[in-house]
Amino acid sequence: MKVGLFIPCYINAVYPNVGVASYKLLKSLGVDVDYPLDQTCCGQPMANAGFEDEAEKLAIDFEERFKGYDYIVGPSASCVVFVRDHHGQLLEKRNHVCSSAGKIYDICEFIHDVIKPDHLDARFPHKVSIHNSCHGVRLMKLSAASELNVPYYNKLRDLLSLVKDIEIVEPERRDECCGFGGMFAVEEDAVSLEMGRSKVRRHIDTGAEYIVGADSSCLMHQDGIIRREHLPIKTIHIIEILSAGL
Amino acid sequence: MMDSREYILDNIRRNTKETFPKPDLNELCNNALKYDNIVGQFCEIMTQVGGRGVVLQQGQDVNDLIRELYPDAKRILSTIPEITCATENPDHDASPADLDGADLAVINGTLGVAENGAVWIEQKMKYRAVYFIAEALVILLPKHKIVNNMHEAYKLVSTGEKGFGCFISGPSKTADIEQALVMGAHGARDVTVILV
Amino acid sequence: MSTQHSIRAEKFLADKKQAEWHDETLWLVRAKRDRLSKQVPEWEKLRDAACAIKMYSNSHLAELLTEFEANAVKNGAIVHWAKDAEEYRTTVLDILRSKGVRHFIKSKSMLAEECELNPFLEANGIETVESDLGERILQLMHLAPSHIVLPAIHIKREQVGKLFEKEMGTEQGNFDPTYLTHAARKNLRQKFIHAEAAMTGANFAVASTGEIVVCTNEGNADMGTSQPKLQIAAFGLEKIVPDQESLGVFTRLLARSATGQPSTTYTSHYRKPREGGEFHIIIVDNGRTGILADAGHRKALNCLRCGACMNTCPVYRRSGGYSYTYFIPGPIGINLGMLKSPERYSDNVSACSLCMSCSNVCPAKVDLGEQIYLWRQQLDGFGKASKEKKLISKGLRYVMENKTFFNRALKLAPVANRMPRFLVYSSLNKWGKGRELPEFAKESFNQMWKNRKIQK
Repeated sequence: MKVGLFIPCYINAVYPNVGVASYKLLKSLGVDVDYPLDQTCCGQPMANAGFEDEAEKLAIDFEERFKGYDYIVGPSASCVVFVRDHHGQLLEKRNHVCSSAGKIYDICEFIHDVIKPDHLDARFPHKVSIHNSCHGVRLMKLSAASELNVPYYNKLRDLLSLVKDIEIVEPERRDECCGFGGMFAVEEDAVSLEMGRSKVRRHIDTGAEYIVGADSSCLMHQDGIIRREHLPIKTIHIIEILSAGL
Repeated sequence: MMDSREYILDNIRRNTKETFPKPDLNELCNNALKYDNIVGQFCEIMTQVGGRGVVLQQGQDVNDLIRELYPDAKRILSTIPEITCATENPDHDASPADLDGADLAVINGTLGVAENGAVWIEQKMKYRAVYFIAEALVILLPKHKIVNNMHEAYKLVSTGEKGFGCFISGPSKTADIEQALVMGAHGARDVTVILV
Repeated sequence: MSTQHSIRAEKFLADKKQAEWHDETLWLVRAKRDRLSKQVPEWEKLRDAACAIKMYSNSHLAELLTEFEANAVKNGAIVHWAKDAEEYRTTVLDILRSKGVRHFIKSKSMLAEECELNPFLEANGIETVESDLGERILQLMHLAPSHIVLPAIHIKREQVGKLFEKEMGTEQGNFDPTYLTHAARKNLRQKFIHAEAAMTGANFAVASTGEIVVCTNEGNADMGTSQPKLQIAAFGLEKIVPDQESLGVFTRLLARSATGQPSTTYTSHYRKPREGGEFHIIIVDNGRTGILADAGHRKALNCLRCGACMNTCPVYRRSGGYSYTYFIPGPIGINLGMLKSPERYSDNVSACSLCMSCSNVCPAKVDLGEQIYLWRQQLDGFGKASKEKKLISKGLRYVMENKTFFNRALKLAPVANRMPRFLVYSSLNKWGKGRELPEFAKESFNQMWKNRKIQK
């Protein structure tokens, strides 16, 4: 089982530590993981802004880069789900067949559903509030969407439960959007900020020290507000917790 | 010139590129929400929708019960012969406007629905207004005429001879001012279903 | 990059207290909807069924509408067809004039809003009174609804109180909702009684019986149609459903989705005219048949107008109905506006973070969020794409398609961390208005990997 590690552009640039943690965690779980060099972007930012065409070439590059792998695994639910749900149709326009869509996983989903570890060595003696990101919940199905009448489940909570000494909570309005939304964050800056502020406030209201999530983009937006307003909470990517001590 | 009917139908035919089959609802309907204690559930949900469900006790006179529930009602409309506390037969009024000012109307329900407290009313009286215009409404409903859910209900109801029927679930209500719930927007402010 | 929506939203949010109230209140409606929907174990199957029935109906419109017409005629109703808003308005006016109607009472109809019926009738000398409390308040204030189910959600009780003091002679300074509602009840009762004709929209039109189904909580549709002998009902042709069996599905979903009630108070079935009266039914197209051919967007015709997508939309809750340029706001309004005129209403398409909650609450499974995504792809074709966003996207593409350029950019990026604040947080940087920028790492993941700092 050969796994290609997909490191989205902004993780590459801003949160390389999340990439490093992902690599270490997969390694520690006995996964044969490799990073195909010189990755850039999956094309989601352009597509969500309305310019799918600008993402076609990137989808071809992506396909090319990961063609020798059995699985593609990345630490960003939103980017992964963009590949899964949209690359097929982008490639179709260029008469390519998409194999990435069928083998790409968000790293939490991959560990939870494919590796299924029964224990982790990590210890994290803190209270964390789960950020159930929109695309993680509603597109990637990492947890039960609050709107649907389906039994509660949460893959992030399941994985975090393997960590020693951790206390896990979820905020009120557990999967309401934090207001990032790519270019939405600047185009609708007032609404985006208001959404972000109320999201951060609800995380703080749980008494948690950390907001933990599987999407660094949502965390980046909330972190921007936290730092600007000097709020008493921090953000952390879930993989940084699961890989603690590695 | 093509008339609008033809124009619209023509557009529909031209623009319908793909058709979808009619779904079979039997499985859904047969396995829909059911209740063990259907009368109890009906009375409970009546409270939830702002009304009241009361079971007429054996030997109890329905007129006494109505009097007890609405001691101040002076003008009581009903066409039901057993309702001797009625003061007025609305079929004898000259126009529906004459019904304005009635304190209470006592009517028959055909069917009750346990999941939502709705009672089917089929128009039997001369004026539809009777069901809506009085300040309070009493609906008489046979206990054994309560079904579980709307699927079961729609198999059994019809708008009858006069071509009008209505599910009524509790009193008229609105929350249009700051989402504050108020009973008695236009229809009855108070609804009691008496299960007989 | 500022759209009309974003500008108006910023103004809406400036009144912090009201904005918070708006968000909280609508969230409570969403929460009630969640609670009620979870009391029905087969909820998700109901949604599937509703969607399937709508897909069936909307792909068999010619059969169903003519079946409806034949049955309605048999019932003694008079059926009219209107291809557009103008024909709908003149049909109503002609009916009213033929009976010498001067006083006309209406229950809430989004179709009437869409076709701007009221101003037209008023201009033609017919007193037209809205009977839904929220609609009546707005009519007296000369305002448009800001929500399709809770039309006056943006109005405060004090405003209603002052309005009623003037219009209905209520006690000065009494802003109690119960008091005010009952004052309107009394006032409108006279309007019902003195109207010569009443009109409703329709939640459903049943092909197999030829009847119209109207759902209200207030009872205003019934109060109206049970006084005057002339009744008009008009519906957009996608309101057709095949039979009573399908009503079982829709009525279980509608009120639970809309307001978190197990049922609307009144679910009224109008089949025949009143004794000695007339019952006119108007079937309206007004652009709907054009949508049928559009495979990407035709599911918008599944909409039951329950408003659940507005209540859940984090953007709608925090920007209010008036921030949108189409008369229907929120996710369904964004889509219906685009279907009406992409040239006029493209502004709303960016008022969405693609959180997809709307698609999950919709009782008829309109793929609202997915359609908004699709509209964004189509904007450029209408010449309505944001030039700045296009430029950014093209720039991003240039950087991302060129790995050397991308890697060099990553190397240079940390410089931004050390740039003077006034440069980074200028008015051009909208991100920085309320947020700190993320700090670029000194070394990118790619660089670290190349330098073999990660792999063991």
